[in-house]
Amino acid sequence: MTATAIIALAQGYCVIGVIVALIFLTVGMDRIDEDARGAYAFRPLLIPAILLIWPLVLWRWLREETGAASWQGRHSPPRAAHGVAAALMAVIVVITLATGFTIRQTWPADRAPQLLVAPDGGSEASQ
Amino acid sequence: MSVKYIPVQWNRSKWGYDAVLLLGVGLFLWIFIHIAPGLLNHERPINPPIRNARAYGACAFVMLTIILCIGPLARLDRRFLPLLYNRRHFGVMTAAVALSHAYFVLGWYFSAYQGATRWETVLFANTSYGQALGFPFESLGIFALICLLILAATSHDFWLKFLTPPVWKAIHFLIYPAYAALVGHVALGAFQARGNETLAVIFTGGALLVVGLHIWAALRERTRATPATDWVAMGPASDIPEGRAKIALLPSGDRVAVFRHEGQLSAISNACAHQNGPLGEGRILDCLVTCPWHGFQYDVRTGQSPAPFTEKVPTYRLKLEGDAVFVDPDPNPPGTPVDPVPAPAGTPAQEAPA
Repeated sequence: MTATAIIALAQGYCVIGVIVALIFLTVGMDRIDEDARGAYAFRPLLIPAILLIWPLVLWRWLREETGAASWQGRHSPPRAAHGVAAALMAVIVVITLATGFTIRQTWPADRAPQLLVAPDGGSEASQ
Repeated sequence: MSVKYIPVQWNRSKWGYDAVLLLGVGLFLWIFIHIAPGLLNHERPINPPIRNARAYGACAFVMLTIILCIGPLARLDRRFLPLLYNRRHFGVMTAAVALSHAYFVLGWYFSAYQGATRWETVLFANTSYGQALGFPFESLGIFALICLLILAATSHDFWLKFLTPPVWKAIHFLIYPAYAALVGHVALGAFQARGNETLAVIFTGGALLVVGLHIWAALRERTRATPATDWVAMGPASDIPEGRAKIALLPSGDRVAVFRHEGQLSAISNACAHQNGPLGEGRILDCLVTCPWHGFQYDVRTGQSPAPFTEKVPTYRLKLEGDAVFVDPDPNPPGTPVDPVPAPAGTPAQEAPA
């Protein structure tokens, strides 16, 4: 039931994404980006991203239309957070590796296989 | 400087880079599937979908591991920079390989079950989220795959300009949780299959290499970073070669590039207005610094592109105390002219070989 709901939710999300992609690629893009005017071959390449992040696309589109973006923001990529993200990743990777080694079990394939005989045949025989 | 968008900006080096990449992927898959069944525990009979799923999964892990090594390697040694410049093509191909892995897994391990679709089956086949042993590692793989698809899908130039570099960069931080999830996907999944020691060594070694390189690069950069003071020390002016720049990390996390041109020093943001390419790695041609990524040009004294182009980057104020160069960490608005500071008499450093 939960799985069905998750899949239905994902499908609905993608359907909205298709609608946003159609409108944005045909109308919105030319209004906000001069480099896109007259350039059409690259537009189909943008469809997968719009399907995945259409809420972000709508938010950015609104910011561009209203002129709410500031120059400082455009020139200040959050590089300072780069180290924190990498450090967090390193810690999680090490913990995950340790967990993987801890729970790793001896697999039955490490032992020589045995051929079992039917119950009425009497004893178990080695292969 | 207006550049109409095209599907892919090819040039000779990118053709070569992608050819090597394709060759590497093909070679890896071919060796995995046909050459090394004994090493990779394929001696037991398995059918082609399982073998293909393993091959593409292992390939995606190795590719993502290499991608995550390129960043710190380029910070540790400039000779790795060419790998960094074309990393987006590497990422797109990695997403394609990971998607192929998911396709084979969905087609075999999660074939339709009791009327449910394959997509539903993969979600409810194992729901033991409360335990490490037997954890539904597929969910970690799905998360990593979604991250990789977002990164690949937003790799076109348009997205960097439209989303703005800060938002684009923040999205692309997804590479880190994606890799952590991928390590979990393998550690709690394929890694638990004893008898596959070759893959176990590659997996463990690769993950530890990524961790080690990131720590090493971060430690080295931390020792170079300067504390937050009014003016940031850049070192002696003689360290800056004629026609080139020295890049420094500011307390804000941004990078500044201090150029020497005709014996005078000027500072601009290291991030190109086009795609945040590293201006400080470019050289000055005809009084203009040229971004090594796409050739956008700026006057280092004003941060402005030459007319009729309109791109601008922030400039910074400089001062000298003896031979020591100091930069004001507060940027001027993009395109603000700043008088160059005459460098002290002396021999500038020789340009490092490219």
